[in-house]
Amino acid sequence: MHHVMRVLLVEDDSETARFVEAGLQGHGHDVTVAADGRDALRIGGEESFDAIVLDRMLPGLAGLDVLRGLRAREIPVPVLMLTAMGGVLDRVDGLEAGADDYLVKPFELVELMARLNALGRRPPLAESTTRLEVGSLMMNLLRREVSWGGTLIFLQPREFGLLEQLMRHAGEVVTRTMFLEKVWNLDFDPQTNIVESHLSRLRAKLRDVSGEDRIETVRGAGYRMRSNS
Amino acid sequence: MTAAYRIAFVYSAAFALAILVLATAVYLGADAEYRHQQDLAIAEENAALVREFHEGGLPDLSKAIAKRQARSVVNAYAYAVFDRSGRRVTGALETTRPEAGSHDIVFSDAREGADPARALATDLAGGYRLVVARDTEALWQIDRTILLLFGGAFIVVIAMGAAGALILGGYLRNRLSGIHHAAMAIIAGDLQQRVPLAQGNDEFDQVGRALNMMLDRIGQLMENLRQVSSDVAHDLRTPLLRLRSQLEQVGTEEGAAARAIEQGDALLTLFAAILRIAEIESGALARNFLPTDLSALTTDMAESFAPAFADDGRLLTWTVDPGLVVIGDRTLLAQAIINLLDNTTRHTPGGTTVDIRLSGNPDLVFLSVADDGPGVPVTEHQRIFQRFVRCEVSRTTPGNGLGLSLVAAVATAHAGRVAIEDDTAGFCLTMTLPRIGAQD
Repeated sequence: MHHVMRVLLVEDDSETARFVEAGLQGHGHDVTVAADGRDALRIGGEESFDAIVLDRMLPGLAGLDVLRGLRAREIPVPVLMLTAMGGVLDRVDGLEAGADDYLVKPFELVELMARLNALGRRPPLAESTTRLEVGSLMMNLLRREVSWGGTLIFLQPREFGLLEQLMRHAGEVVTRTMFLEKVWNLDFDPQTNIVESHLSRLRAKLRDVSGEDRIETVRGAGYRMRSNS
Repeated sequence: MTAAYRIAFVYSAAFALAILVLATAVYLGADAEYRHQQDLAIAEENAALVREFHEGGLPDLSKAIAKRQARSVVNAYAYAVFDRSGRRVTGALETTRPEAGSHDIVFSDAREGADPARALATDLAGGYRLVVARDTEALWQIDRTILLLFGGAFIVVIAMGAAGALILGGYLRNRLSGIHHAAMAIIAGDLQQRVPLAQGNDEFDQVGRALNMMLDRIGQLMENLRQVSSDVAHDLRTPLLRLRSQLEQVGTEEGAAARAIEQGDALLTLFAAILRIAEIESGALARNFLPTDLSALTTDMAESFAPAFADDGRLLTWTVDPGLVVIGDRTLLAQAIINLLDNTTRHTPGGTTVDIRLSGNPDLVFLSVADDGPGVPVTEHQRIFQRFVRCEVSRTTPGNGLGLSLVAAVATAHAGRVAIEDDTAGFCLTMTLPRIGAQD
């Protein structure tokens, strides 16, 4: 379903580190743990990883400095920042320092997994892709059209956005917060059911045309589009 | 010594020094010039007498001297002719035979006794020596006058400097004492103290005003901090106690663990909301503000929430005037709109119609969210934006009482305000923000 990744986990709180490490290993990923900012910078520079999960508050060297250090050495590994600081400016600082994604503690493990998967497979599916295809479902990103087996499906802009995310990450979980970020450009959880209400309409439209429901609800995590037919 | 006294002192010392230098220069210059003039006059007188001697010998010279001495009331010169042996043969100048050339000599005056004088002695034929002298009294007079004048000026400058120092020092001390007293009072704990301002707009008033604005700002930040701490202390206790009791039930009651986790999440959400409000009220976010198309954002939010409203059996309608731009943070404005909409769904029954209206005039943008639900008693209107305030009727509905506090904080951070409309049937909130021209 997803490929195995080499992940560097930088987290000084041993409880959190153990929890995340076990979760990543449970998904078959290969995990290296660093508890200190300097170690993280050293290991991150010496070895090659598919992704780095970087806590923001670290002893030795702060997470932001580790990130800047890696970027200064032109190490392009995707970095997911973890933070207990949910402020708007904290997020801005993190992204400006070169983080690819930003997750505020506490987070669900599935949320972390979903975001890591999205980061890890970023290169093979470039943003410039113009056509997405899952089974008989076709999406033309330039003409903003969706069709199933040649039949056009008329979608509202937000329904189109939701489907685009599901198709880009076909076979993987897309969480509520990922939808909110990508489709609504909201980097906080408004604690409402806008994702669900639009998604149920999208599903109904797809079902009407195709007679099947490729979108699965993953309990407590988000949604997934089945990629196999 | 205070700075003011020091400045005034240095100034008057500098003036006094300038006068001293000037006095010295004038004194020396005048003295030298007068001596030069005196030597010239003596030489001229001397030459005239030498001519008399050449024309008529000693007798003519004696006559000429006698004539000049006779009118010596106005003539400051004195004369003497000595022979080879040093004996005075003519003239009234009571002195010994000087060497040839110019000298400062002392002669004895019949009236005044010993008197300094300037003399020029010239040798004549026959071993005679002519001495023409001039009393230097006049020079002393001039020198003394100059010294007196400048001495007086010097004393006046010193006196004026001292008086100026006292007046300036007293004035500065007086003006600064207001600031000083305010600062000391604040240090002592009276944080309401402010710098007293005079009516004018001089540098002191400007500094005072700036200090007062700074104190107000610090006061706001402290109030903000105090509010956060007291919120955390008081209003998190209840959910924490609830969490604790739920944890106690874990193991004995089905689903207790899930409920505890839910309670924990609610607590964290509450924390995030408190911190978010504090962050907004701190004003630090303003550095991220950009021109934001509120028309587009409002439409986006309305279109996003319409299905959710429909699912809950409510109707969401909207009327958005295009092209209304404000300076702000898109995330915060979105959150404010979401909270306003969320507020209506929490506190109205199914079947309610909610209407969003965005309009503007050249200066302001008005965002209203109105519903035709039961409304809120007017008596509650004042309290509704305070933190953790929940109206009696909504005690039983979910919510943490922070939603509208956050809306108010967002409005304030954007130099706007939020108000409840009194004259509507249901409930209507209007957020007013300053408008900027179309994005350019």
